[in-house]
Amino acid sequence: MKNPFEEFKRHPSKERSKEIPLDRILRQKEETLQRILRGYENLLKNEAKDLVWLMQYSTVIKAYSIAEEAIRDIEYTAEDIEEFCYALDRTDQIPYLITGPAGVYISALCNYAKESEIVLRLQDLGIKINLLGYRLPEGKRLIVEGNLGDFTGISLEGGELIVEGSTKNYTGAGMKRGRIIVRNNAGFNTGHGMTGGEILVGGRIKGLGKIVGGKIYEKDQLIFPSEDYRPFYF
Amino acid sequence: MTTGDGYQEKVRRIYRFISENFYLNRPDLEIKGERYNSALLFGILTALYGGKELIIGEPGLGKTTSAEYIGCLIYRYPLGVIWGSEVSGHPEQTEEKIVGRPDLGALNQGREVVVWSNFVQLPVKIVDEINRLPETKQSMILDGVDRGNWEYLNEMIINDEYVLFATANYQDRGTNTIIAPLVDRFDVLVESRHPGPNLAFQIGRRSKLYNPLRHPEFERKFHELLRSQVPYEEKVPRLEELCEAYGQYLKEKVGIEGLSKEERFEIRKQIASIPLDLDSNAFLRMVLAEFSFCHRYGQKRSVEQCQEGCHYTGYFCYHVKNCASNRLPISAVGYAQALAWFLEEDEVDLEHVKAVLPFVLAHRVQWKDSYISKKESEGRNDPLQIYLAKEAVEEIFHRYNEQRDYLLEALAVASEAFEGREVQLLDGDHPIYEEIKKEIAALR
Repeated sequence: MKNPFEEFKRHPSKERSKEIPLDRILRQKEETLQRILRGYENLLKNEAKDLVWLMQYSTVIKAYSIAEEAIRDIEYTAEDIEEFCYALDRTDQIPYLITGPAGVYISALCNYAKESEIVLRLQDLGIKINLLGYRLPEGKRLIVEGNLGDFTGISLEGGELIVEGSTKNYTGAGMKRGRIIVRNNAGFNTGHGMTGGEILVGGRIKGLGKIVGGKIYEKDQLIFPSEDYRPFYF
Repeated sequence: MTTGDGYQEKVRRIYRFISENFYLNRPDLEIKGERYNSALLFGILTALYGGKELIIGEPGLGKTTSAEYIGCLIYRYPLGVIWGSEVSGHPEQTEEKIVGRPDLGALNQGREVVVWSNFVQLPVKIVDEINRLPETKQSMILDGVDRGNWEYLNEMIINDEYVLFATANYQDRGTNTIIAPLVDRFDVLVESRHPGPNLAFQIGRRSKLYNPLRHPEFERKFHELLRSQVPYEEKVPRLEELCEAYGQYLKEKVGIEGLSKEERFEIRKQIASIPLDLDSNAFLRMVLAEFSFCHRYGQKRSVEQCQEGCHYTGYFCYHVKNCASNRLPISAVGYAQALAWFLEEDEVDLEHVKAVLPFVLAHRVQWKDSYISKKESEGRNDPLQIYLAKEAVEEIFHRYNEQRDYLLEALAVASEAFEGREVQLLDGDHPIYEEIKKEIAALR
């Protein structure tokens, strides 16, 4: 019988390492996570020196640009982002958690990820992350399984954010274009200051903010603009 | 493989000529920095390799057209002759129309003489809407095409060269299922897509009055010869003479050179001689392992179900119902070699294998319903079967990259073990390592 592995005789036989591929994969994963964590700590040092972070438009912009800088040279995948979310929940891996900067940082990771579709399974996460989906660009689809906090999907820039759960207040605030789908409920001031795009909420919306443009649906019903709505600038 | 005979350049000119004049479509496949239309590229590779291609797509999107032009230019048969040899799929189709019929005049005189159909006699075989044929009749065609043997009454003819293009519409009320063993006989599955509104508009503007590939005078001569009672063995060289004359016409009037029978045979020889490099060899083994392995039952069988909690749930063996047939590696290697030849490469490498695998796998894999329902709503540009196959190839390629060195080492060690040396086979999580152990254990 002919040797079915014959061609591989030519493969140079090396000193056989005891390491199995899984060890290398795990080591690479751990290194990536450590680099992502260092970037986050750096963001906190710059932005929340006193463990206080004031949610203002300018602070969000600044935090986002620091996050962009921190992740620039990191090679990561959507799985690493999910791993980072869970690391936020574990006190042994993260010195302190402030959900605002954390959300901005995760948003930056998602926006710069190689994958066009990112799925974050966060059902078991003890915390509710704020600001997730910030500036999600066109061509990106972010699917989050679990509930999210305030300011979800703000300033969305054409991407599609799907939340398989509920969101809190100011969902989609200031969004320009794109689409947010919330399977369950959304909080107060939903769509505040939005100028375009769509928000579709499968459950109940506690209240709408002041909306400039775009469309909001609640349980498949268009609730903004309503039939008697006239844009205030007309 | 640069052979200096200019065959590749001839074939590339045919590709360009068809894509610029007859089959206007967008490129949807990138290989080594060059962009191609998959339906056209695989059609040409099929014609060169002598394979079987299943072309799917919405009605009117050029499924048959692409095959007709490829057959016409590569085999140098006038378009009217190709049209006259096509079998169209419908439930009333009969063996007498597809294969041959008795010569009624001779029968009246007590002699059994078969009048063979053009479909059987020509090397270019096109079956339009194969899934409108009942399953038994699909089988009749594919059995013949599988070996090139055609039998009717007590007579038989054997094609020494043939290529099959079959088109299929998406399921509707008039279609039948193409059963798994028949589907498996096709080497590749491609989709003929909508060209986009701008190219579609160009197609709409073109005149239908003149087609340079039609030539009524040649077509009449071909039909006369095909109809005649000359024995098939004598007919073949005479057909080739007519092809030569029509080829001359194509060269002079259209500016395109087709391929003679001798050239096609020479090309097939060159294709078959292109070796696979170690990476493409090992990667293909890894793919075959994932689509045939079952830890519990020894191999995949479509009648057996995976157990919940199986260690191998992360691999594709867990997502598929059936086992990869031996035709899969034959098609994968053959088309990868044909692609390497087309690109004038000396070896088949990973990129060639990665490019052809989705089209070789798409129709052969029976995915579990749970996997389909999970994946079917994902955004994509391809039909679901091709999309799932592309995703699978990418995922296995990712795994290959992670453990490439280790796998090559494992295969090298297996080679030593096969030759009787006392070596420790390498362990790994992927099914391929288990398969290597089974191989060696079977010998000891």
